[in-house]
Amino acid sequence: MVIVLIGATMVLFACLFVLPGDPVGSIAGSDKARDPAVVTELKARYGLDKSLPEQYVNYVTKVATGDLGEDFIQRREVSEILGPKLQNTAKLALLAIVLITVFGMGVGIIAALYRYSVLDMTTTFFTTMAVGFPTFVIGMLLKKYFAVELQWFPPIGGDQFNGMILPAVTLAITDIAFVARLTRGTMLEVLRADYVKTAVAKGLPRRRVLFKHVLRNSSIPVVTYLGISFGALLGGALITEAIFNWDGVGLALVQAIQQQNNPIVIGVVTYSVAIFVVLSLIVDLLYAALDPRIRLS
Amino acid sequence: MRGAKSAKWVVGAVVVALAATACGGGDGDSKDKSSADGGVFRLGSTEPDTIDPGRAHESTGVLLANALFTGLYGNTPDGMAEPALAESATSDDSCTSWTFKIKPDTKFSNGEVVDSEAFARGWARAAHKAAASDVAYHFAGIKGYAELQDGSAKTFSGVTTPDPTTIKVDLSKADCEFVLKTAHNAYSPVPKVAKVGEEDKAFGEAPIGNGPFKMDGTWEHNKAINLVRNDTYGLEKASLGKVQVTLLNDKTAQQLEYDGFQAGTFDYAHIPTPMLKTAEAKYKPQNKWFAKDTSGMNFVLPIGDNGPTNNKDARLAISYAIDRQAIAKGVFQGFQTPSTTIVPPSFPKAYQKDLCVSCVKQDVAKAKEHAEKGGLKPGTEIKFSFNTGAGHEEWVQAIAKQLEDVLGVKVKLDGKDFPGMLKEQQGGGATGIYRFAWGADYPTPENFLFPLLHSTSMSKDAEGNVTGDNRVRYNNPEFDKLIDTARATKDEAARLAMYKQAEKMAMDDMALIPTFNRSQFRLMATDKFNGLDDINFNEDPILEKISLKK
Repeated sequence: MVIVLIGATMVLFACLFVLPGDPVGSIAGSDKARDPAVVTELKARYGLDKSLPEQYVNYVTKVATGDLGEDFIQRREVSEILGPKLQNTAKLALLAIVLITVFGMGVGIIAALYRYSVLDMTTTFFTTMAVGFPTFVIGMLLKKYFAVELQWFPPIGGDQFNGMILPAVTLAITDIAFVARLTRGTMLEVLRADYVKTAVAKGLPRRRVLFKHVLRNSSIPVVTYLGISFGALLGGALITEAIFNWDGVGLALVQAIQQQNNPIVIGVVTYSVAIFVVLSLIVDLLYAALDPRIRLS
Repeated sequence: MRGAKSAKWVVGAVVVALAATACGGGDGDSKDKSSADGGVFRLGSTEPDTIDPGRAHESTGVLLANALFTGLYGNTPDGMAEPALAESATSDDSCTSWTFKIKPDTKFSNGEVVDSEAFARGWARAAHKAAASDVAYHFAGIKGYAELQDGSAKTFSGVTTPDPTTIKVDLSKADCEFVLKTAHNAYSPVPKVAKVGEEDKAFGEAPIGNGPFKMDGTWEHNKAINLVRNDTYGLEKASLGKVQVTLLNDKTAQQLEYDGFQAGTFDYAHIPTPMLKTAEAKYKPQNKWFAKDTSGMNFVLPIGDNGPTNNKDARLAISYAIDRQAIAKGVFQGFQTPSTTIVPPSFPKAYQKDLCVSCVKQDVAKAKEHAEKGGLKPGTEIKFSFNTGAGHEEWVQAIAKQLEDVLGVKVKLDGKDFPGMLKEQQGGGATGIYRFAWGADYPTPENFLFPLLHSTSMSKDAEGNVTGDNRVRYNNPEFDKLIDTARATKDEAARLAMYKQAEKMAMDDMALIPTFNRSQFRLMATDKFNGLDDINFNEDPILEKISLKK
């Protein structure tokens, strides 16, 4: 895990600082004349006058103590700036993942159980559509109809729960479709498996076969997908956050990249990598719980 | 941040052509019988860079700084200076020493009296090195500026306060229009809690001012800034109870404002350029559409000391080759108008329509003739740089096409991010033409002519890199002399005549190539509020005049 983190930050650091551009210019942020003395002072303040390896070592030693540094624009602690944004993104991600799990798996299971029924066909049709639609189109359409026209929800996401619904649904729709298809596929596969046939032949009740054998065994790929999806959601959804003005890490990242506000960029990415590492660990642990044949060593 | 990025500093002026139905005239008076006290005015805006009065420079920051602070002078929406806290402003005959008398006993929202010290403190605080203020240069004419800028002093040697209501200002060079500069937010007074000569974050997060509104809580970054009416305001009190500014991300801010207005979340909105036609069709009949020509001017900036545009004929050829009408109609769908001057039409006393003869109409023959004289042979490569992502792509491409078609030159478009473009523009190797815009900080032609074209507005180092706003590297001693004399001339008519003459001189040299005058468009909830019949000099809603409809 530590190696992954170090690797990722190193690559990122190299990318950011090799890129042409002038972070100090962005700090001063003006096309009116700039005082060279101010520029020198700003460079010294943020350690930008040091060599690249030196800057990296400084950064790593600070991160190890939980200090992500000071950002270039607001001149506040990065952790202080990102903290509330992380919470915002997490709120949205949590609601989205609940929607994805409940609706995705629910629809998938029903479709698999009633294969080739009208219900199944409809599901296939809509999930194909949903997968093909870009997220920003979904977001803009949802906003246009449910916020601007019908005025059921605010067009700008806020603290209230109803401000979360549109962005969370936007985030969830494509993944609901994916999870539904994945669940349906693996369910069908497992339903055809010999051990299921055996269980049914042995006269086990249908519900017991479904839950104990089919669902449990077909959920492994789904759990993997959900894990990855949750990780991606926690990393911030740039487009959806921009459409609904959701003050999360995704938006912070785009803005920081444009302003060359490197401490924020590094902060967001470091955090995202950490989330992925932790989530893949959790997914691994879940495998073992779902399938006892998988041993953790 | 919105549209042309240099619109950040841009401050508008004078009504020239209010769209006929835009302003339902006459219902702007807050004492109107149809108005009720209180109410919440909601708008969306991008996260400001700073709302500290000594540093605010982009549109949201300026809007808030002006709501929170009141200085000596202000500007009317049509670009006339009007006294705010100043009771009088007098200068000596040479215009190098100014004396201001201020209204006694007005207060900051914390109860502290606004005296001459408060002004001296505010000015020094903004000009001091520690503030790292982008707008500090507005103080450059006051004695002692250099010492504040290098941090060796904490007060202006040129600003003295003989008594609590008198401020004396000594300038290093004559400036008969100094009084106009005091309308800038950087010239605001600050209370004792504001720190001079050190970084002052706390004050910047929740400034304590003397304006018509005060902070309601602190700045919630990326979320909101809320204001409430300042009931102890020293001038005419506002009618609105609250102003809620929702902070929007700058990627989609205009779209969000527009969506929010349509959904009833905001009472005021900017409009994304592609939506202008739709918005006009929908909201003009409802009397919620507002249009105004402002003091923003767009130019093609030719590098004057280097490359293919280093001579007047080449620049004239470019100007003649551009079909401004076609672009205004085609690319801008009639929402912007061709420009024929450096000084905007919003300064009626100084405006000289059609001063740029080559701007009036595309003239292929004349363009070719001047190109021949100026060495712009067919096949010559001209670099045309612009900043991407701010809506300039289409018109820049249109001009490039016209230049290629008319002159047979090869135009190499070079799109960059904004800081990248500016940096390149200042570099010693800069050549060709650049996309450029400028707006006034105070209502005087000088605010265009001096920074953009005076030779002291540019300093060149050994490698040819320039600092300052004279990016065209215009250097004409006669022009300089005219501007200097004008600045030191007390009589307004005489001064304006000199500015006009100087503008003509620069235009004859084709120092800058005018393209379009900037017009602004807004949506306003005139069904809920009175006082939405104009935007102020800074292109913002006039918060202190808005009142809830009964």
